[in-house]
Amino acid sequence: MNLDSFPWLSSLIVLPMAAAALCLLLRHHPRVSRWIALVTTLAILVTAVGLFVTGGGQGGWLRYEDHPWIIPFGIRYTLGLDGISLLLVLLTALTQLLAIVISWRRKYQVAIFFSMLLFMEGGIMGVFLALDLFLFYLFWEVMLIPMFFLIGVWGHERRVYAAVKFFIFTMAGSLLMLLAIIALYLLHGQQTGEYTFALAALQQTDIPGAIEPWLYAAFLLAFVVKVPLVPLHTWLPDAHTEAPTAGSLDLAGLLLKTGLYGLIRIAFPLFPEMAQASFPLLAVLALTGIFYAAWIAYAQHDLKRLIAYSSVAHVGFMVLGFCAWDAIAMEGSVLQMFNHGITTGALFIMAGMIQHRAETRDLGQLGGLWGRVPILSFFFLFFSLASLGLPGLNNFAGEILILLGVFRVNPLWGALALGGVVFAAAYMLRAVQGVIWGPPGPMKHAECWVDLEPREMLVLVPLALLVLWLGLYPEPFLAPIREPVQRLLGGTSLLALKGGMP
Amino acid sequence: MTRADLSALFPILILALGSTGVLLLGAWWPRRSRLVLLGTAIALAAAAAAAFHTPPVAEITRMYGAGPFARFFTALWSLTAAITLLLSVRYAHERRFAGGEYTALILFAAAGMALLSSATSLVGFFLGLEAFTLVLYILIAFHKDDPQGAEAGLKYLVLGAVATGFLAFGIALVYTSSGTFHLPEAMAGIASGAQMRPIGLLGWGMLLVVIGFKVSLVPFHLWTPDVYQGSPAPVTGILSTGSKGAVFAALITVLAGMPARGDLAPLLWALAALSMVFGTLAALNQENIKRMLAYSSVVHMGYTLLALLAGGASGNRAVALYLVAYSVANLGAFGVIASLSGPKGEPQNLDDFHGIGWRFPFRCAVLAVFLFSLAGIPPTIGFVGKFAIFRAAIEAGYGWLAVLGILASLVSLYYYLRVIVYMFMTYECEVEHARGGASEHTALAICLAATLALGMFPGPLLDLIGLIIP
Repeated sequence: MNLDSFPWLSSLIVLPMAAAALCLLLRHHPRVSRWIALVTTLAILVTAVGLFVTGGGQGGWLRYEDHPWIIPFGIRYTLGLDGISLLLVLLTALTQLLAIVISWRRKYQVAIFFSMLLFMEGGIMGVFLALDLFLFYLFWEVMLIPMFFLIGVWGHERRVYAAVKFFIFTMAGSLLMLLAIIALYLLHGQQTGEYTFALAALQQTDIPGAIEPWLYAAFLLAFVVKVPLVPLHTWLPDAHTEAPTAGSLDLAGLLLKTGLYGLIRIAFPLFPEMAQASFPLLAVLALTGIFYAAWIAYAQHDLKRLIAYSSVAHVGFMVLGFCAWDAIAMEGSVLQMFNHGITTGALFIMAGMIQHRAETRDLGQLGGLWGRVPILSFFFLFFSLASLGLPGLNNFAGEILILLGVFRVNPLWGALALGGVVFAAAYMLRAVQGVIWGPPGPMKHAECWVDLEPREMLVLVPLALLVLWLGLYPEPFLAPIREPVQRLLGGTSLLALKGGMP
Repeated sequence: MTRADLSALFPILILALGSTGVLLLGAWWPRRSRLVLLGTAIALAAAAAAAFHTPPVAEITRMYGAGPFARFFTALWSLTAAITLLLSVRYAHERRFAGGEYTALILFAAAGMALLSSATSLVGFFLGLEAFTLVLYILIAFHKDDPQGAEAGLKYLVLGAVATGFLAFGIALVYTSSGTFHLPEAMAGIASGAQMRPIGLLGWGMLLVVIGFKVSLVPFHLWTPDVYQGSPAPVTGILSTGSKGAVFAALITVLAGMPARGDLAPLLWALAALSMVFGTLAALNQENIKRMLAYSSVVHMGYTLLALLAGGASGNRAVALYLVAYSVANLGAFGVIASLSGPKGEPQNLDDFHGIGWRFPFRCAVLAVFLFSLAGIPPTIGFVGKFAIFRAAIEAGYGWLAVLGILASLVSLYYYLRVIVYMFMTYECEVEHARGGASEHTALAICLAATLALGMFPGPLLDLIGLIIP
């Protein structure tokens, strides 16, 4: 069989969905479904790495698939992979494998839990690959359902509240986007006679000035809620705190990235002028977020909430990088999307491990872990340092690019953002201080704690190596995104080049 | 009536004669519970006849259409009846109304709905509407030992009788102004500049009141929650889908020949907006699932009216699509309630649903899918339906109404999710639920398959609808 004609992109979506269905059917066999989930996610990671290593392909896209789907409405099943989506596909594959491994010991409704994780993996892959707006919207909504159940069924005390809040917040933005998508589709149809949802075609639409801001606002709203940009971030701390560890990992690692990805793949290219006009506003919100979230993070007693707010601050940096509309800053932001998934994901995993042992996440009750579980503490320190942007570790690589780019464009923004880095140091060090240094807190059964088990090492060691790799030599990850970023900034994005594609 | 006319009426004759046959058989045959299955077979035969038998005439005695449009809805309502009957097998047996009467009435209701959907004259409209409304009065109160059922039946009867009066009077006025019963001509008779136009418009306004009552648009919706709550669950299923859908299908025909549409547009606009807003708000704090679904049906009828208001090919197609989407999901939702209900009663209150998701995972998951479909979340048919409606609305320039619809559907998430939260995210309660029978599971599986398959691959259905509404 010709490997180049194999629908690799579809397999990234279909395989996890099929495995999810299988797990649902095998709900009385938790052991089997566990292995199914592991093997599937492993296979997907191998596929993603394969795509990363081989690259290559046709035209501007590394891979491209296109089939008619709902013909009466002009909807097509179009998937495309470029450098930016490639990085995110890789992140998704990796994160989901970790999510399965760290949930290995879960007891309650195991098969359904794994099925939800797989289902979400398929949905998120779809979001990162879809080039037909209808298809994109479909995946965009579909991925909410498993997350809703993950938080609501397997979460902590206030899980139902958090799950419903999460669902309604993100739906609020998306539903208006649906209207905007339809309006855009009708406009394009009326102008050209061809009704289509293809992103490339819709980019050519001539939108009347009166409604353009509204349409852009609808898209923007959908994406910044998911990002989340202050002041639309209030769902995130709740969702993160109440979600089970795998859910927090997916939220921070992947769901936030779908919002950022939507901005650069859909909102900005569709409305370039509007986007330019909105950059100052977005930048102000992003900067506000960096400081505000850092401040709030500093004040948290709950370790997971602290990390959640740190996410809000981090995405502020990424949005700021987009707003600079500068190649270096944009590359930094895209790289940072990947970095943030790794470090914050690792921190959430560790918060889960600590909670598993201490039965609390309260910084006031933790402390002095270094004396009891040094290896765990070492990793926690390592990822915290990565998160606050220590040179040589991954976040530094992204942040420095963002800051460089932003400085080039607007020194004031750059200077302010730099201040944000100091703030980040403050709250991360507080977390480290509260967890591993200081006098030991009143923790339960502290005398019989075990340090990291092999399974936990298996998760953390590769992540730590990745952190080092990305920190010391990020070039392999920057190379694939360079060209797409250039095209995005050049106005003729990758999509336009594909306009003639059948 | 010629032989060709009879041939064109064949599917409806199957329903009507089959209904009579079942009724007679029920009087003598001892194993009466089998009759429900026989009724299912009859309804399926009618659906097949409607789908595959091409009638020789386009219109029957200038009263009923026999074209693809009529046949499509005849098939749809026959299938609705078939699913309702499948859902009733165990339910009816446990409540001792398994005799021929129940089956016969459901079949007869389907015949009435089919007639109404194919009506091309005001008389046909009246006959079709009354045919199934009369049957529904009985069906709602069919469970004799249930005081709520009796109350619901009486409520529907009294208000329905008033509606019939309005209907007759409205038809008289339209007839006076135009001199014909035939819908296209009658509606053309009240075109602007026509002599008797004010009277005709008044008549049309009265018809609108009746329609608003039948499909429960705000402010004519007040009966809905009580009647939904009091009726047996399978009956609520057909009441909420078939009886409303049939009226909407008829409205497509009525409005098609309506040159005065412009005058009525503000009225329809207001009805749609009110229904979406008030239905949503009222559904928010219902503790009873059937009442919640009743108010949600008010909202859904608001959406459908929005598509109808948008008009044109895409608007009318959206109506037809949405009727299918809504019917499948709503029948399924009431079907799950029917299948969970034991001899002692139906699980209606949210409290009865505490944590049952893990005890009855399949049916609760299926109910969740139906609720997601009603909420318009992909990959379900409900999403495609909403998409079609909003598309038509924006195309026709009703953007603000579409925004209102979006907001309503956002708020609606809360009450749909609430049921799911109760089922899966709370701890189990000590309420007895039935395990459900094979026929119910079959019916639910059919609804589920339709909801998901049509949600992911709506192409063939859209083609079919494009065929019936060119």
